[in-house]
Amino acid sequence: MFLRFAVAAIAALAMPALTLPAFAADQVEKAPPSGAYKKVSTLVKLPDFLPGLGQLYVDPNTLPAGPFLAYDHNGKLVSTVYMLPIEDLSNKDNSFDNLAAPGGKVDHVDVYYNAGHPGVEKPHAHVVLWHVSKADEARVAK
Amino acid sequence: MTPTRRHILRVGGVLLAAPLAARLAGRAWAEDTVEIAMRGNADGSEVWFDPIGILIRPGQSVRWINRDPGNSHTSTAYHPQNSDRPLRIPAGAAPWNSDYLLPDESFSVTLTVEGTYDYFCIPHEHAGMVGRIVVGRPGGLEGSTVSSSASQGGEPVPDEALRAFPAVDEILRMGIVRHT
Repeated sequence: MFLRFAVAAIAALAMPALTLPAFAADQVEKAPPSGAYKKVSTLVKLPDFLPGLGQLYVDPNTLPAGPFLAYDHNGKLVSTVYMLPIEDLSNKDNSFDNLAAPGGKVDHVDVYYNAGHPGVEKPHAHVVLWHVSKADEARVAK
Repeated sequence: MTPTRRHILRVGGVLLAAPLAARLAGRAWAEDTVEIAMRGNADGSEVWFDPIGILIRPGQSVRWINRDPGNSHTSTAYHPQNSDRPLRIPAGAAPWNSDYLLPDESFSVTLTVEGTYDYFCIPHEHAGMVGRIVVGRPGGLEGSTVSSSASQGGEPVPDEALRAFPAVDEILRMGIVRHT
C-alpha cells in the first residue's frame, strides 16, 4: 500500500501539467471537449460514430478506462463511458480509483459486456453514465 | 491500406480427389471467391466470422468484409510473423494480416497450399472471434496440418479461441460451417 502511494505521489510531482488527465473544469458539453481529449477515431482505427454510443473522445493518458465522452450527431454530450477490462475486474489486486466524471448530472447508468475493439483489445465492461433520458438514447442509436 | 487488397500466397497446384470435389459442387467450392463476413451485434457483446469454417479448393480466393457497423476487425493468420503467434497454417504457406478494416472495407487472399488455415481477429481473439479454412485436403494431425494445442511457441492461443474453432471433420462434411 505504501509503495503504491509513494509511486503515485512521485508520479504526480513529476508529471508535467500538460500530461495530466482531463479535469472536470474542461468544457465537455459540446464536441470537441477542451483539455487533453482526442477524438477516438483519430487515435485508433474505429468508425467515427459508433451506433449505440456516438462520437467518442478520450484523454489517451486515461486508457483503457477513460472516461470516454460520447456525443450525438449535433455534438451534444450524451454519456460518459468507462471501459474496464474483465481481467482487471477479476484481479483482486487491480482497481479503478478516482476516475474523472466531467459530464455533470447523470440520468441513468448502463453496464454491459463488450467483446473488444481497437484501443481496448480485450473483453471489457462498458459502464455508461447517461446524461440524457432513456428515450434520448435514440440520438446515438445509429 | 486500400480497402481491398489481394495477396497471392503461394502456388500449390495440387488437385483434390474427384469424388470430394464432386460432392462439394454447388457449395463455396464452385465460386471463384468466397466471402466471409465480419459481424457483431448491436452492443458489441458478440463478434464473429460468418462462415466460421469453410472448405475451398487450392487457388480459390477468400474475401473478408466488415459487415459490423460499430466495430473494426482484422483477418490475421496464426503465424510467428504475426506478433509471434503460433503456427496454425500449413508449413510453407505465406501468412496474412489485413490490418483493421472499417465497416464495408474488405481484404482478400488466394490460398494455394493445401491444408488447414486458422486465423483470428486481433481485437477479438480473446472473445473467440476466430475462423478456419480447409484448402483441398487438410492432411496432418487429426486430419489437420495445425496443432490442436498452443504448443508451437509464441503467445498461447486463448481458450475462448480454441473452443470456437469448428472441427475439421465438420468442415469437410458440411463444406460451410455457419456461426451459431
